[in-house]
Amino acid sequence: MLRFLLTLFYGFALWAGCAVAAESAPAVAPGRAQLLAALLAPPAEQVAAIRGLVGVEDAAITPALTAWRAGELYLVPLPDGSRVPATLAPAPNGGEQLVALSVLDGTAIPDPAAAPGSATPLLIAPKSLKPLDTTAPLRRAMRDVLEVAGVADPSPSVRRESIERLGQSRKPEHLPLLQARLVIEKSPVVRTALADAIAFIQLADSSHTVRLAAIAALGEAHSLAAASRFKELLAATPPPPPDETAALTAALKKIESHWKTVNFFGDLFRGLSAGSVLLLIALGLAITFGLMGVINMAHGELMVVGAYSTFVVQNLFVSVFGATSTAFHFYFIAALPVAFVAAALVGLALERGIIQFLYKRPLESLLATWGVSLALQQTFRLVFGPANVQINAPAWLQGSAALNDVLFAYNRLFVIGFAALVVFGVWLALNRTSLGLLVRAVMQNRQMASCIGVRATRVNMCTFAFGSGLAGLAGACLSQLGNVGPGMGQLHIIDSFMVVVSGGVGNVLGSVVASLGIGTVDQLLQPILGAVIGKVLVPFAIILFLQWRPGGLFPTRSRSLD
Amino acid sequence: MSVPAKLSDVEPRFFTRAQWASFLLPTLVLALVLPLLNAALPAEHLLRPSDFTLNLYGKYATYAVLALGVDLLWGYLGILSLGQALFFALGGYAFGMHLLLMIGKDGQYKSDLPDYMVFLGYKALPAHWEPFYSFSFAAAAVLIVPALIAFVFGWLAFRSRIKGVYLSILTQALTYAAALLFFRNDFGFGGNNGFTDFKRVLGADLNSPDTRRGLYVASVLLLAGVFLLYRWLTRAKFGHLMQAIRDGENRVLFSGYATARYKLFVFVLVAAITGVAGALYVPQVGIINPSEMTPEKSLEAVVWVAVGGRGTLLGPILGALFVNALKSWATRAAPELWLYIIGGLFIVVVLFLPGGLISLPAKFRSFWVKLRSKAPAAESLAAGH
Repeated sequence: MLRFLLTLFYGFALWAGCAVAAESAPAVAPGRAQLLAALLAPPAEQVAAIRGLVGVEDAAITPALTAWRAGELYLVPLPDGSRVPATLAPAPNGGEQLVALSVLDGTAIPDPAAAPGSATPLLIAPKSLKPLDTTAPLRRAMRDVLEVAGVADPSPSVRRESIERLGQSRKPEHLPLLQARLVIEKSPVVRTALADAIAFIQLADSSHTVRLAAIAALGEAHSLAAASRFKELLAATPPPPPDETAALTAALKKIESHWKTVNFFGDLFRGLSAGSVLLLIALGLAITFGLMGVINMAHGELMVVGAYSTFVVQNLFVSVFGATSTAFHFYFIAALPVAFVAAALVGLALERGIIQFLYKRPLESLLATWGVSLALQQTFRLVFGPANVQINAPAWLQGSAALNDVLFAYNRLFVIGFAALVVFGVWLALNRTSLGLLVRAVMQNRQMASCIGVRATRVNMCTFAFGSGLAGLAGACLSQLGNVGPGMGQLHIIDSFMVVVSGGVGNVLGSVVASLGIGTVDQLLQPILGAVIGKVLVPFAIILFLQWRPGGLFPTRSRSLD
Repeated sequence: MSVPAKLSDVEPRFFTRAQWASFLLPTLVLALVLPLLNAALPAEHLLRPSDFTLNLYGKYATYAVLALGVDLLWGYLGILSLGQALFFALGGYAFGMHLLLMIGKDGQYKSDLPDYMVFLGYKALPAHWEPFYSFSFAAAAVLIVPALIAFVFGWLAFRSRIKGVYLSILTQALTYAAALLFFRNDFGFGGNNGFTDFKRVLGADLNSPDTRRGLYVASVLLLAGVFLLYRWLTRAKFGHLMQAIRDGENRVLFSGYATARYKLFVFVLVAAITGVAGALYVPQVGIINPSEMTPEKSLEAVVWVAVGGRGTLLGPILGALFVNALKSWATRAAPELWLYIIGGLFIVVVLFLPGGLISLPAKFRSFWVKLRSKAPAAESLAAGH
């Protein structure tokens, strides 16, 4: 008994403290107060009070009214006689009891009887409370408020979405609200959406001039939604007056030609990034092939080594720094050199173990490396599992920049930039370093180079490791664009072979032109012919191309004839 | 190329008497004795080859024809085609179309249309399917479709003197592209699932042991016939030319031979014959789908040849048998090891046994000779002291 009294006392003290704190705190936000007033108002005044919430800016309005409308809102009485609007949810520690989640801030209401400072939630027996009543006029009022509540939401993206929805609904009664919002709205994106929505509603305006102005405005704004609406209006019976028909047709044409351009540039951009990916993969291949005349069928798997290295580095960063830390977002920077080195080491082992014995038998080295690729695939499957692994893009690679409605995804931009950087690096390494000089010498004439003292074996080894490392870099990049799994290497490898064949052997420029060309043509064909046809046509196109230039785009000139 | 061809290797006679015997005996056993035993003996008899065994051998025989084609191109002509599975699958598809139409109303949907067409909402049979009701048209298509594709591709490729790894990669891309195309539902060949659930061929029930035995015998006879044909081709002057092209195409070209035409002829011939093998393969396994024409399948056929021994005609047959037997064992006993085994086979054969299994006896013999010649020398040395 004594304990009960004590608890009660402490509870009272806590509540009193809270009350004092609340009084001394800055006054409750006006929107919040208005919402509370509407909730607690006598039934006769509730409809008017709710309708008064239209356009009021407060995050709690939507959850409160949504719950109320669904009959899930409860007024939880507190010992001081006040009532807190809340929804009920099962207690986290199980049991029959429920906890009350305040709709005002979404947190559990603390037990006033609990010790001060402890976060014990108030437990409520099921069925002990009745949900707040709703009536048909109330629900109607709530629906109207909810419909426009998003317009005043603190988040610009929510505002924009709900404004677009209002525009689509084309109800003239929303017009004053939208126009009022346009006066105070600051975000440029939302302002555009507001203007579009207003014009959309004004399409049905009684005034002829307003309608014409709205059509022109929507045409200027290149609104896709307007385009389909325009088509409906043009097909309507009776048809709109002639000058309106002309305005509609002109605006429609404008919108369509705009989006055609946008899609074209979007496809071009995607083609460029796909080509960059191909370039990254094919560059290493072109180098190894150029030097050794060996098509390394395991090149795709070397790429996967790079991708899995990225995965491992990511996990390392998560376990050392935590998944939410700022440092985590730089794991990718650390993963790039790791991927390069890992793939280069595997390539080195491959060259020492197998390829060095087969320089004079290119067809057979193709087969042996295919055997290696099978074994590596199975190894990936056994080590990392047969399913794709999860790689989270760092924050700075997520999202996209929009330029005149064309979206430029950051990860694709990164790949393009990175490919350019790698090409430049490879060019530098081949043309401005002593190793590059030796590599070129061995490429042009292995025997002559050996005769004048170039250690061809070592050059072969280094070059192969370098080419393999480039594959690793490509894999790391690809992990940011697509899935990483054991079969990932097979996906791109045939395309990159095509690049090497059509670009000419051992030629950086040829690989650049060929990969960008193949990537772009593939992407530009896709919207016209469907996803696969582009890939199907590419080999045929290359065969036809080789009729014209049998040595590829930039053949190595040589007098030798086998 | 690593397998040297000396003209003295090439015997003037087609077959010696002993060779005839060693050819006819296994052919008789496989094509006559085994099916007879299977038909005549009671089910539990010890000597009776089971229906399953016959079916398996029949499948292997069609594989061996595929391998022989790869070998004729690679071992004799120096063209490593990674697209042979495409021709195999095209033959299979052409015959599969006929088999699919022969199901009639016995399919799941009890419709005149094949099941997958009903499923995809076709209203009528596409026009290019109509002629496949006729067996002889389908049989002709089995030969002509692969040959036509091979002709167009080969004409373009050989004309511009694409060879070596370039040609390998292009053939690989060709079969890859075709597989992508056949995987699509709207390409009209059943997409992913391909054709299956066949019921009858030439009016005979495909599930009856008699029909299956017939298919098996046909496969063995095809293999024997193709073996003889290739043997004849490689023994004739034509064969010498093929090997000369393999070892030094430019020299042959400069001697006045239009090498591209020779290569094209062999490429097309092999494609057509491989198509026939594919057509016999399909009713025996009961399904054809695009995974049969992926580059991996082609490369698998290359392994058979490499393991068996290329540049010989017996090697590919042995290789196809050996690797497939190994595969059916490994995929049951240790499925996760299969890729290691086949990958390892590739590496080992390429590095250490370029002549394949068939070169093993000769290797042992020379090893034995070396051992014998060394041993007396050591003895005489010991006696001298």
